[in-house]
Amino acid sequence: MIHKTSLEIGGMGHPIKRKEDLRFIQGKGNYVDDVHLPGMVYGQLVRSPYAHARLKSVNTEKAKKLPGVLAIITGEDLAKANLAWMPTLSYDKQMVLATGKVLFQSQEVAFVVAEDRYTAADAAELVEVEYEELPVLVDPKKAMDPDAPLLREDREQKDNHIFHWEVGDRQATEQVFQKAAVKASVHAFFPRCHPAPLETCGCVADFNRATGKLTVYMTSQAPHAHRTVFALVGGIPEQNIRVISPDIGGGFGNKVPVYPGYVCAIVASLTLGVPVKWIETRSENLQSTGFARDYHMTAEIAADRDGKMQALRVKTLADHGAFNAAAQPTKFPAGLFSICTGSYEYSQAFCEVDGVYTNKAPGGIAYRCSFRVTEAAYLIERVVDVLALELKMDPAELRRKNFIPESKFPYKSSLGWTYDSGNYEGAMKLALDKIGYAELRKEQAEKRKKGQLMGIGISSFTEIVGAGPAHTFDILGIKMFDSCEIRIHPTGKAIARMGTKSQGQGHETTYAQIVAQELGIPAADVAIEEGDTDTAPYGLGTYASRSTPTSGAATAIAARKIREKAKKIAAYLLECSENDLEWEPGKFFVKGAPSKSKTIQEIAFAAYTNIPPGLEAGLEAVDYYDPPNLTFPFGTYVCVVDIDKGTGEVKVRRFVAVDDCGNIINPMIVEGQIHGGLTEGMAIAFMQQIDYDESGNVQGGSFQDYLIPTAVETPHWETDKTCTPSQHHPFGAKGVGESPNVGSPAAFVNAVVDGLSHLGVKHIDMPIAPWKVWNILKEKGVTS
Amino acid sequence: MALKIEKTFAVQEPVEKVWEFLSDPRKVATCVPGAQITEQLDEKTYKGAIKGKVGPSVTDYTGDVQIVRLDPENHEIEILGKGQDVRGRGSASMKLTGKLRALPDGSTEVTSVSEIGVVGILAQMGSRVITEVSNIMFGQFTKNFQALLQQPAEAPAGQAAASAEVAPIKATSVAWQAAKGVFRKKS
Repeated sequence: MIHKTSLEIGGMGHPIKRKEDLRFIQGKGNYVDDVHLPGMVYGQLVRSPYAHARLKSVNTEKAKKLPGVLAIITGEDLAKANLAWMPTLSYDKQMVLATGKVLFQSQEVAFVVAEDRYTAADAAELVEVEYEELPVLVDPKKAMDPDAPLLREDREQKDNHIFHWEVGDRQATEQVFQKAAVKASVHAFFPRCHPAPLETCGCVADFNRATGKLTVYMTSQAPHAHRTVFALVGGIPEQNIRVISPDIGGGFGNKVPVYPGYVCAIVASLTLGVPVKWIETRSENLQSTGFARDYHMTAEIAADRDGKMQALRVKTLADHGAFNAAAQPTKFPAGLFSICTGSYEYSQAFCEVDGVYTNKAPGGIAYRCSFRVTEAAYLIERVVDVLALELKMDPAELRRKNFIPESKFPYKSSLGWTYDSGNYEGAMKLALDKIGYAELRKEQAEKRKKGQLMGIGISSFTEIVGAGPAHTFDILGIKMFDSCEIRIHPTGKAIARMGTKSQGQGHETTYAQIVAQELGIPAADVAIEEGDTDTAPYGLGTYASRSTPTSGAATAIAARKIREKAKKIAAYLLECSENDLEWEPGKFFVKGAPSKSKTIQEIAFAAYTNIPPGLEAGLEAVDYYDPPNLTFPFGTYVCVVDIDKGTGEVKVRRFVAVDDCGNIINPMIVEGQIHGGLTEGMAIAFMQQIDYDESGNVQGGSFQDYLIPTAVETPHWETDKTCTPSQHHPFGAKGVGESPNVGSPAAFVNAVVDGLSHLGVKHIDMPIAPWKVWNILKEKGVTS
Repeated sequence: MALKIEKTFAVQEPVEKVWEFLSDPRKVATCVPGAQITEQLDEKTYKGAIKGKVGPSVTDYTGDVQIVRLDPENHEIEILGKGQDVRGRGSASMKLTGKLRALPDGSTEVTSVSEIGVVGILAQMGSRVITEVSNIMFGQFTKNFQALLQQPAEAPAGQAAASAEVAPIKATSVAWQAAKGVFRKKS
């Protein structure tokens, strides 16, 4: 258990209000588009209308003549500087501006720079591009057909296959399946969706010719990594690049990759010597930047007649679009999808993934998810329900029977992960009790007799977050540690800087609470600064629920280093031995004489004014934290839906979310995260898809077609928690930001399928729009 | 994006007169809102242009129009039009099959099947908008076609009908009418 500090100190566990909200709710945030520099000009991208076409000519003559136009950059121009292509985070390469051909609709073709944004937009319309249409590949299942059009002519490998990846024992798994009494399987497509953050992507690139310094204000979830990429790709000395991520209006993985717009703005600023701003429109963001999912998955479970699971087999086709621009650790081309064994025990498991190219926007990124964990959690929770149907067994009972027991943690999964801690049965019991599961099943049985449709869906997910240990995890070779530097000022106040970057998670509050917890300095007295590569220690940024597991841990360790030094100073001030001192949050006191004490503020003052002989002045520390393992948050979500027989509309009647993220820093922020993630999960389950027609036209390219949930669609969320601390994290935390998005889609879909299962329905692909349900009801003769 | 639109309407003119118009792409084009035949390349091939503005999207297609099949006996014609937007914003194609049938009262029934393919920015608006836009355009086409038929025979057809129809389809009105069409279906 964590020692609870006073409310005044506001350490861990206190639901203190978010410090950053004071400026956000007053409209005083400082986002990239709020950056205005003297002499700043504006860029606009010209994009391809075709999904696959030969680029015959780009004529910029008319556009150049428009008054106010300063420059137009084309792919050919970039090619001369060897910048037409750039590396992706997955060891593929991606076109910055197209040369030769275009590979997806809305691909970047030219970059227009003008004195103001309107002129830039008008000039972009005047750029005349001649295309010759080529056959379009939109169906990933056809990507490997011999007659499929070859998309990536630039590669040595002359087909559309990107990678094959497998883990587990194929043969041993096969043997279990051959002997199995019961088998269940599901083909589940997790549609392409998009994080659609409130703020789209953009940057202001400011190259100063006098100093040779390039400052890039950008929407970056990983400012340091982006600085290094710019240095490596652009050949600019790294000390001359400063990346500043100001306030960010939501990221969800969408702001991890490097996009062509950033590179174009930088090239334009280098060329013109003035600051260049580039901000995406909403449609540009939806159509060209990092999408998520697009996994065509098959899962099979082998079990005995009593419902004991014996083996799991998963085969997946991953649609990566035109370039493999997935943002994920080097060794994991399918991310951490091998967490697909979920919360259950099997003797064997095998998982394989093939990635292919199609004429779609490149990606994919981990949308509020630790690298394909959402796909994995959805798949396993779906197939478990199908097995329950097969066995005619209650899905809660089947789960209980197969959970990894609490006594077996740390638990090594059959696909190689060591789960740190868990109490799956505890979380599920709380969720079922809270929702009144037994009563609901009775109600459902009665309603069915009357011909009414209701369903109950359970999802008992396990995540894998906090990447990650240096021995296994890197992105482009950079190990996935993260960092914190704390400086205590003479008056006992502090500033702490991290290698992560908040995009709305509330880091300015939660990190301050960690410092408060460890040093007893009130959270209100601790300033948190992130996002400026000139001041913050190096780190890999915020995504994959990694901030608390990595930088949060670094913050605790750095604070403990400071406490060690503070102890020496306290001993000097109290004229006693260090061994005679005891700590309570905020002060050291002499054992057995509590009145003889020195507060952390007094110690801080002494560190600058009354320095013990032989000790360095100052009170600060830095820590680069390499986590020994990942963390494994979990929970059980239960959803109750009512289905309208006439319209096919699904109404979420109740939703109970029980989460276990270990020790909690700020319960109010955790609850907010859960609410937000559940709302996003609901939108994915019922409303959202980036679809393409047969010509490769985006069918979800604006908010007209890509629906964002509002308060109208959002049900009342009921949240609760259990607490099973991580055994290796410095303060037992696990990370929580992504759990609701990872765990909830299966709960929604399971609920709808459960409501229709007596009609023989085993699976429905997301998004479960009313028309889909209505068609099923019609086919089953339930509605006319 | 591909869609198929079938329409049938009657005109108060004898079949032979209607056929005379329908079998001449230059005359048909003058009835299509925003369309124009700019050049005849050979007996069956023409160069043409069509301008449209749907909401914020301006498209200006230029391309070829070709008579694929002409059957005077059965009064059937198949026309294939293909164009690219001059600003490189996409392409469109239309295969139009027209068929005439003489009705007992001396009027003529026109049946048309249009298969439309749209690639590019316009196609992102989705079939529900494009279908509505096509419906509106078709409505205007029918009106123009009937008006053209009723022109005195001696007046040079192209000139008579070309008065307003070459101007692009009106932006706001089409977007608004299309929106109304979409919502009407829902209620």
